[in-house]
Amino acid sequence: MKNIRYLIILALAMAGCETTIHPELNSAEQIVVVDAWVNQKPERQEIRITRSQPYFENANPTKIDGASATIEDLNNGTIYNFQEGETSYYWDPVNEPLGVVGHAYRLTVTVEGETYEAYSRLGRVPAIDSIEFQFNRKTLIINQDHYTAQFKALEPEGVGDTYWIKAWKNGVYLGKPGELNMTYDAGFTPGQSVDGQQFIIPIRKDFVNPLDENPDKKNEFLPPYLVGDSLYVEIHSIDRAAYEFLFGVYFQISRPGGFAELFAMPLANSTTNLQNIDKNSRKNIAGFFNVAAVSSRGQKITQEIAEKAKKSSD
Amino acid sequence: MKSILLGAICFLLATPCLSQNKITISGYIKDASNGEALIGATVFIKEVAGGTTSNVYGFYSLTLPAGSYSVEYHYLGFQTAVHEVSLTQDARLDIELSMREEMLKEVVITSKALDERLKSVEMSTNEIDIKSIEKLPAFAGEVDIIKSIQLLPGVTTVGEGASGFNVRGGTVGQNLVLLDEAPVYQSSHLFGFFSVFNPDAVKDVKLYKGGIPAQYGGRLSSILDIRMKEGNAKKYHVNGGIGTIFSRLAIEGPIKKEKSSFIIAARRSYADVLAKAFTDALSDGTKLYFYDLTAKTNFNINEKNRIYFAGYLGRDVFKFDRFQGFNWGNRTATFRWNHLYGNKLFSNYTLFHSTYDYGFQIGESNLDKYDWKSAIRTYNFKPEYTWFANTNNEVTFGGEAILYRFDPANALSVSDGVNTDISLDERKAIEASLYLANSQRISEKFSVQYGLRFSSFHYLGGTVFHYGDTTAGVMKPLRATSEKSEWETISNYGNLEPRASFRYQLTNSASVKGSYTRMNQYIHLISNTTASTPIDIWQASTNNIKPQQGNQVALGLFKNFKSNAYETSVETYYKWNKNQIDYIDGADLFINQFLESQLLSGDGRAYGVELYAKKNTGKVTGWVSYTLGRSELKVDGINYGTDRENRVGNWYPTRYDQRHNVKVAAFYDINKKISLSANFSYISGTPTTFPTDRITIQGYAIPYISGSSRNNYRIPDYHRLDLSATFNNIWRGKKSRRGEDYLVVSFYNVYARQNPFSIYFSQGRDRQPANQPVTTSATQLSMIGTIVPAVSYNFKF
Repeated sequence: MKNIRYLIILALAMAGCETTIHPELNSAEQIVVVDAWVNQKPERQEIRITRSQPYFENANPTKIDGASATIEDLNNGTIYNFQEGETSYYWDPVNEPLGVVGHAYRLTVTVEGETYEAYSRLGRVPAIDSIEFQFNRKTLIINQDHYTAQFKALEPEGVGDTYWIKAWKNGVYLGKPGELNMTYDAGFTPGQSVDGQQFIIPIRKDFVNPLDENPDKKNEFLPPYLVGDSLYVEIHSIDRAAYEFLFGVYFQISRPGGFAELFAMPLANSTTNLQNIDKNSRKNIAGFFNVAAVSSRGQKITQEIAEKAKKSSD
Repeated sequence: MKSILLGAICFLLATPCLSQNKITISGYIKDASNGEALIGATVFIKEVAGGTTSNVYGFYSLTLPAGSYSVEYHYLGFQTAVHEVSLTQDARLDIELSMREEMLKEVVITSKALDERLKSVEMSTNEIDIKSIEKLPAFAGEVDIIKSIQLLPGVTTVGEGASGFNVRGGTVGQNLVLLDEAPVYQSSHLFGFFSVFNPDAVKDVKLYKGGIPAQYGGRLSSILDIRMKEGNAKKYHVNGGIGTIFSRLAIEGPIKKEKSSFIIAARRSYADVLAKAFTDALSDGTKLYFYDLTAKTNFNINEKNRIYFAGYLGRDVFKFDRFQGFNWGNRTATFRWNHLYGNKLFSNYTLFHSTYDYGFQIGESNLDKYDWKSAIRTYNFKPEYTWFANTNNEVTFGGEAILYRFDPANALSVSDGVNTDISLDERKAIEASLYLANSQRISEKFSVQYGLRFSSFHYLGGTVFHYGDTTAGVMKPLRATSEKSEWETISNYGNLEPRASFRYQLTNSASVKGSYTRMNQYIHLISNTTASTPIDIWQASTNNIKPQQGNQVALGLFKNFKSNAYETSVETYYKWNKNQIDYIDGADLFINQFLESQLLSGDGRAYGVELYAKKNTGKVTGWVSYTLGRSELKVDGINYGTDRENRVGNWYPTRYDQRHNVKVAAFYDINKKISLSANFSYISGTPTTFPTDRITIQGYAIPYISGSSRNNYRIPDYHRLDLSATFNNIWRGKKSRRGEDYLVVSFYNVYARQNPFSIYFSQGRDRQPANQPVTTSATQLSMIGTIVPAVSYNFKF
């Protein structure tokens, strides 16, 4: 029920009072975490093999040394061997990107004497046709004239494509938990199938317009875009299991607080597609493996675009 | 089944025939001031040291050998009426009782009605009269029936803003809330901050937590039976009030004197009206209001027949602009016909309809929007009979047929001008039940009540989903679908529900009671959030979802002191339930045709002790209650520890497992003009899940719980004191102005405690700088962290 985002924003003013507390937690299990989201971008592909940390330990997780990571193309037998680096295990593409759309992949990770496997299917991705800006007068929560953006991409027909849409404003990744934007076809969930169309408006617009609280004024937000700002969007194809994983993660990490706590779901462990090849092993593992195709587009609001947007709003 | 019922009736019919010259006296007991039927008034015959009580329509019937009797009519707060009758033939005695004048003075209560709690077989029930409810300090000064219920032993809530209430460790969806027999599916305005019942139209509120009579069924935890006023049959009255949230107005009066009357009561919030006056920043389409309208009328056709019509309409509307908002509301309509066969068989036929629906819209134009409506509609027919066989037996029998229409999603998604209908099919189901029960007085000291209810459920036509088995706690894979025609049964369930209770009078002022209840619940409230909310959906039992079944045993000791000035009781209960619903992690419950694949099923248990003491008379009255309770679930796939292979669940506390629950309500009448009241609540913190680790994936810090524990911690305890003062007749009632009025000044959360609603773990709402470690923290949230003062002015003329 990602739609509740609206309710949340509007209910913020109604929010009760919140205090940061420091409860004592049960001791951390410090399990192995495999963060293996690779894609076809012509850049270094990294797999992070780390250990989970005590919940309040605000430090970057450290790499587990001496592990190995290999991805195998199950359709054509290509092997991608990942090298151990400073902070991660990596593979650098030479001429060819990692993988072929439609092929299936197996990740094999060996760490601390245990071997884990995970599977992923490399899905298709629609091109982003344009990024458009709209002019908005000041509102109750954004106290100045501003612009809002949306991207246009025609989701291909055929039910069951799943994507993770990422956005950057002026080069800064929109990585707040509430901005985690995964889609099932052109809509939110398989139960509400919207296929072969433009992505629905919350996906193509609301999640790419950052709403950051105005540090100077309570209950006010900074304008999403002004003249000179830019938006860069990427659509990553993910497989169904990765979609389910992100869908679960969204509700675990997106806690806007206040009134929205009424709608919070119980805390539970996120799923993983990694499996220990030794069925009898009692060692827990967390993490996820996905191979993605990526489409992208960026746009800056030039004076010209701004004028045009302003005119068409009249 | 039918033959058992018939056999039992024949047996009971045979008993009174053994002796001869039996005479029946019967009639209605009413309030002399307004003609309202008095529910549960006692009729006591000195000569036989026994009697009966009036039913919910105020009717009573007693069969005695011919002779002379002194018949006493008692009702709490009313003057006792004594009639000397010489019975040679059947007699009709309609009685009107007058309210005691000296209500405010200290009086020695001798009214027998007060020891009703001792004498009746009923246990695990609580009644609050509307006068007490009106006096209790209320949030924002708004008199609230559901909030008052929460002051009773065994009743809790998970916090401010949560809809509904929890009874003896049950879920919100396991309560059947009845307004004049019609089920009300959502009892909240503004999420859970206010309840939908207008106190001006309510006469009687009764909560059954256990020992539930056979005439009720369909929910596991409780029945909240709310009866509306019939309307003053003697003269016109206008009732109203101006509060901080609502304004209320009620009009009641006779249509034809003593023959028929009506009541119409309305409330509306006016935050939007005020807001518009102060700011122009709200856009044109902005709406924020809630209202309810309650109406009832009755016609006394003749001595044998009486009919009632009642209706309720309530709605919450939140609209942010033309294309965004949400709303919800209930509608009920009830038609009832009381008919008397002879003077011993009382019947009531009820036809009713109830709808709960909500809508949710987002978007920004007709080309890009999302519109979702959801509804549950029920159509019921309920014949009920009470046969006042003799002074020792009162037989009730009847049945109920319910047609459910579930419309989980009537939804449209429009993206860039292209419409996609994402509606789910409407589903239908029929629930039918039959019951027979007898309330029997075996000796002066020993009474029993026993009965049997047979309930059945048919899940009807449409697409049938067949799911396969998988690891517990993971989404079930869809194996196949098939189609059934509209009225064809997909799956059916039938269950026998035995009910039994007894009372044994130990001394004049003490009795012991016990009961066993089995209940089945065929429709389920699907809610996986911290608190129940208005957008929770109702789901039928299907081929994949089994009906919930609950059993409860309860034992209680009841003792009164000082001529019933003090009532006390101790009750213990143990409940064991099957097919309790839980959810897979990351369950998607909204507009999901594969909803059944997201549900888990397990066992539940709850047990506890409830202590209750009430002071009925004097300047200071009120009650104190304490509940020690536990409520747990065991569901495979949840809280499975290290058993990753089979994921066999371990017992875990439910979200509403609140160990200690202390409630105090006190009323102090200083004089005729001023009275004070206070209530205090102390509830153990609700269980919640704390993580142990954080795992970092793609820059997000995701909580991880070692051992997959559920509800392994508790948030701090909740406690709150509210005070209010009532000033009577500040304008009316003076200088020969007609009518009366009162002003209520109330303070909610007097010592401004920031009671925790939840503790959540997150990486925060702020944008985290790139390449810096993600900051995670825990936040404690209080919904209301300050004192909330309020004033309301109420009048009646």
